[in-house]
Amino acid sequence: MKIVVCMKETPSTTAEKRFGPDMRLERRKEDAIINPFDEYTIEEGLRQQEKHGGEVIALCMGPETASDTIRKALAMGADSGVLVSDPALAGSDAIGTARVLAAGLTKIGFDLALFGSAAADSYGGVVPSAVAELLDLPLLSFASKLDIEGGTAKIQRQAEVGYNEVEAATPALVSVVKSINDPRYPSMKGIMQSKKKTIETWSLADLGLVAATVGAGAAGEQALGAEKVSTTRKGEIYQGNDGAADRVIAFLVEQKIL
Amino acid sequence: MSNDVWALAELSNGKLASISLQLASKAAELAGAFGGESTALAFGVTTAAAAQELGACGVKTILASEGAVYDQYLVQPHAETLATLIQQRQPKLVLFGTTNYGRDVAARVAARLGLGLEYNVGDVAVEGGEVVMTVPAFGGSQSVKMAFQGEGTKLLGARPNAFPTNRIGGTAAVEQIPAPSAPAKGAKVSGPFGTEGAEEAGHLGKAPDGHDIWMPAATRAKLEEAQIIVSGGRGLGGPENFKLVEDLAAALGASVGASRAAVDAGWIPYTHQVGQTGKTVKPTVYIACGISGAVQHKAGMGTSGLIIAINKDKDAPIFSFCDLGIVGDLTVILPQLTEKVMARKGA
Repeated sequence: MKIVVCMKETPSTTAEKRFGPDMRLERRKEDAIINPFDEYTIEEGLRQQEKHGGEVIALCMGPETASDTIRKALAMGADSGVLVSDPALAGSDAIGTARVLAAGLTKIGFDLALFGSAAADSYGGVVPSAVAELLDLPLLSFASKLDIEGGTAKIQRQAEVGYNEVEAATPALVSVVKSINDPRYPSMKGIMQSKKKTIETWSLADLGLVAATVGAGAAGEQALGAEKVSTTRKGEIYQGNDGAADRVIAFLVEQKIL
Repeated sequence: MSNDVWALAELSNGKLASISLQLASKAAELAGAFGGESTALAFGVTTAAAAQELGACGVKTILASEGAVYDQYLVQPHAETLATLIQQRQPKLVLFGTTNYGRDVAARVAARLGLGLEYNVGDVAVEGGEVVMTVPAFGGSQSVKMAFQGEGTKLLGARPNAFPTNRIGGTAAVEQIPAPSAPAKGAKVSGPFGTEGAEEAGHLGKAPDGHDIWMPAATRAKLEEAQIIVSGGRGLGGPENFKLVEDLAAALGASVGASRAAVDAGWIPYTHQVGQTGKTVKPTVYIACGISGAVQHKAGMGTSGLIIAINKDKDAPIFSFCDLGIVGDLTVILPQLTEKVMARKGA
């Protein structure tokens, strides 16, 4: 089975975020990590490979430096990587990104394409469904369990309470939630082996895409400005266990909750 | 293109998700500002009850499409109908919820028609005849102002509870739209149980021996719709102490939330997680127990009406954004609090 895991490089959650004059995030290499949701995606790809054989390919759109982030997926066990990187991609929105990933997936070919359910920087969660539409394929979204058997992918789809079972014929796209597995840490052997694995870098031209359909110019949205949010509340602080429960009760009564 | 504003309602077996009414209320308001008409879209097995509720929020028209296909397949039939309607009628703006359903439908429509799409919108203003959206970024630590650019209908995804529900009263005209046929390459809902029974009554399904599995009563209410939430985090120390949170929630008639740390530790399922990678909630009262208050958690609950924090670490960040902070031992305070709440309610 040919499995492609789509991944994103994001700034670490604790990194200081600054926007440049073009309202794009100033990316610093030292702050770059695998989107934390994608660790579950990569893990799921590896587990499906363990069951069904085949290969796992990591696909990422990002700046040239994102090859270091792909290398981490290879250290976990993915067989090879593809980085789509092109100056014309800067400022792409979710739909532009989906166009690139759809073209990349088509060029690679796949039985199963896996996505994280969102990225931790924007938390949009719209790319998997957009890619599915562009490829005219089913998306099994928000999967907390994935089983593949006889050309059918079946998931448990996380619902408010409990789950639904949803299935589709392969090739199919699946987005996963983090309750699906516990991602492994790369072993020392895995890290050593990853250095010998191949990461291909493709440009827009390699994918047969024209710059007018991606990048900031093609985006349907633009940022006007950003500001740090300050939402401090200076409430009363009560110290100690004695009388604490009574203070909460009194507060709830004052506020007409009780 | 018209100046009309549409709201995409969310139905499961004919029952509306609460965000639908928030979207319909905002659509009615924005259509007024643009000088267009407001419309709500309801796609599902049955739509009559939904149409009535949506109409009471001020929208003038309901585009209703009924068919079993909408519940049998994930989002593809919904996207098909919505894309066709947008092409035919060219509204200015379509509001959807940034929920699992809304994300999946809107992304397909935007990709198919090449439309502008924004998500996680927390606030909308109208400036110079166009919308300016406020979108939290990086776990809520930054707030970004966004505008649409280019031609065509725009898709605007609202965070749950970003807009209030305004039941201003009214009755909408209902126009029936034919349902599409099943998608050729579809994601088919195959069971074993639908969402509606589970959501409604806390029914999780049947165990292998045939007995019914139920959620604990206190955790049944949907988090996004709860008026009071009692939430637990790492500071509880272990799964056995999570019971203290559930007991207090039961006494208050509240829902149970959790921080990512508590979910990652396996003390409570992911569906209870509040924060950047979990739910966004806006209850009247949020009681945070043993939650330090990382920026990612704050992103999911920072706009709650009142925040009460209980934590033994006096330096926890949550004490800088609460209305009442208690520095103390949860294992002592929570049982006392539960008892006192029950005593008051019994009185």
